[in-house]
Amino acid sequence: MQGDRGYLDKVKIFFAECFLLGLFILFMRVEHIIGILILIFGMGACWYIYDKLENVQISIREILKREKIFSMILTFVILVCVPIFLKDSVYLLNLCIWAGIYVMLATGLNYQIGSTNIVNLATAASYGIGAYTSALISVHTGISFWLVILIAGCASGFMGFILGLPTLKTKDYYLTLVTLAFGLIVYLVLNNLEFTGGPNGIGDIPPPTIFGYSFRQDLHIFGMTLPYHVNFYYLVLFLASFYTLISNRLYHSRVGLTWNAIREDEIAAKCVGINTTNYKILSFVINCFLDGMTGAVYAHYVSFISPENFQFFLSVVVVTMVILGGIDNVFGVVFGAVLLTLLPEKFRVFQDFRLMLYGVIVIATLIFRPKGLFPQKLRKYAEG
Amino acid sequence: MLGFLEQIINALLLGCNYALIAIGFSLFFGALNVVHFSHGDVCILGSFVFIILYMLAFSVKLFNVLPPCFGVLVLIAATVVITGILGMLFEKVVIKPFRNSNALMPLVATVALGLIIRETIRLFYPEGSNPQIFPDVLPQGYFDISGFILRYDNLIILFVTFAVITLLFFFIRFSSKGRAIRAVSQDTEAAMMMGIRLDSTIAMTFLIGSGLGALAGILNGAYISLIRFDMGLMSGVKGWSAATIGGLGNIYGAIIGGFLFGFVETFACAYVPGGTAYKDVFAFSVVIFFLIFRPSGILGEKVYEKV
Repeated sequence: MQGDRGYLDKVKIFFAECFLLGLFILFMRVEHIIGILILIFGMGACWYIYDKLENVQISIREILKREKIFSMILTFVILVCVPIFLKDSVYLLNLCIWAGIYVMLATGLNYQIGSTNIVNLATAASYGIGAYTSALISVHTGISFWLVILIAGCASGFMGFILGLPTLKTKDYYLTLVTLAFGLIVYLVLNNLEFTGGPNGIGDIPPPTIFGYSFRQDLHIFGMTLPYHVNFYYLVLFLASFYTLISNRLYHSRVGLTWNAIREDEIAAKCVGINTTNYKILSFVINCFLDGMTGAVYAHYVSFISPENFQFFLSVVVVTMVILGGIDNVFGVVFGAVLLTLLPEKFRVFQDFRLMLYGVIVIATLIFRPKGLFPQKLRKYAEG
Repeated sequence: MLGFLEQIINALLLGCNYALIAIGFSLFFGALNVVHFSHGDVCILGSFVFIILYMLAFSVKLFNVLPPCFGVLVLIAATVVITGILGMLFEKVVIKPFRNSNALMPLVATVALGLIIRETIRLFYPEGSNPQIFPDVLPQGYFDISGFILRYDNLIILFVTFAVITLLFFFIRFSSKGRAIRAVSQDTEAAMMMGIRLDSTIAMTFLIGSGLGALAGILNGAYISLIRFDMGLMSGVKGWSAATIGGLGNIYGAIIGGFLFGFVETFACAYVPGGTAYKDVFAFSVVIFFLIFRPSGILGEKVYEKV
């Protein structure tokens, strides 16, 4: 019996994921605004109904829990197949890469806003430091990208450590102000320093290579020719999956539990013997390390960076993604990042009103769904 | 020596602007324990409201009826009231729903509100993305004290700011509304038990804070004579920083913090070689320094955590 049910579950998951893939491709492909609106309202309605049906949610969660490994591998395989459906449009591939980069930033920030309740408005700074470190090293020394990405991560992580030190003394708004001031300082310094190129930025950053194969070279595979963006898509997909996996493991580890304890009540956490300072600094370091690696990927993908790419607004966007998706829920954060990358692009018809729409969406979400679209459930350690 | 005096005047002028904005941050924080991140944008909104009113006044030929200096005063008063009411509305719509939730929700909500305000100005004001020329509302001309030039408009800005701060001091100190504001900022629940209406007191603080912000926007516009839709973000961050240096929740601290900020920025510009590009870096470094070594600010009281 068990075998039969497992088989049935796998089939169900397979069709569900194929359906989602189809929906995603359709959403990417639709260009007419009426089509987009119909799709969005349709999905919104489905989601609304789903949100009301507790039983369905529980059964879906149970199926996914039983077939965890299978569904994860299947999702990965399906994401690997995405470029085949989008190979004729560089624009859409580019969009997917951006979605991936934002997923990476958002999962990183989730350690702070989600797990530990530190509103860090310096994402742009850590991301920018990673990007600039990697770009400077690559341009001047020609060290392999795979080493540079780690160096960028370390540089940014070290910055995170410095930024985390004030947690010894400050918290809440004060800590947010420290991160905000730090982010602005980094932007201003990048804009004014000589060796970072000032406002002109750094150009001609070499693409990553692997065994002599350059990433800026069209991909020939199974008799198909895919644009070179696909290489970067796979890189970003690999890293983003890696980030989400780390996130997931950390959430279920003792560290994640400790962070949550600090979020819920710092004094109580101290009383049970948690060294809150160390754990807060740890969340800074991990977040900045991941941001730094993301920055390196970004720099090598676009091959030109300037301080304009690392402005305050970027930090706000990433904060918004975490909050919209669902605080501390890894799946929700990923969903929020993808949604908020694609929506503004799909609303190109509204052109100038896009940013305003963004603001309205954020406020509406905060008021009507303060825990995000996919709220995190309470931890459960025992059945029943 | 003359140069030094001029720098002091510049620092005072900048300090006036920051102090007026910082007072708003401190009032809001005192009343609600929230940081109204878009307060800087409300200030710039104030200066745009003033430009619109000024042009309206021109088109209905208000200045033919009223003497110009009186007319400008009326316009400034109208701007302050309109922006104050807008600030109250923002509080009702964006901040009030989060009164009982996590303290960081209103911060993010007001970040989004700031975005909406900036975009509204950019889209709905004619050619809003370009810098706008602020009308010359203050008299031009100067005293020449043996080479030291003291402009009338600078003097007026200083005078108005000090007058408003003094008025605010008396209002907070002696009026019943002011007492209510102080009571709420000291202990909200106890104040409510004493029969103070929380909603109307908070609305009052937002009216005053946003009105002062509008005044800061007008004076700043008159001083630099060019305004842009996105200037609010930076002035908001600086106002918040100034209020924090002084001690969030303490109005006098906000004033001191504002002037300190003005002095740091001006002197970094004037006396550090190559400092002009880095003036904000100096200012923000001071903020970080203060937050690390004196987190509660200059005048802020130390908060002990109770279980």
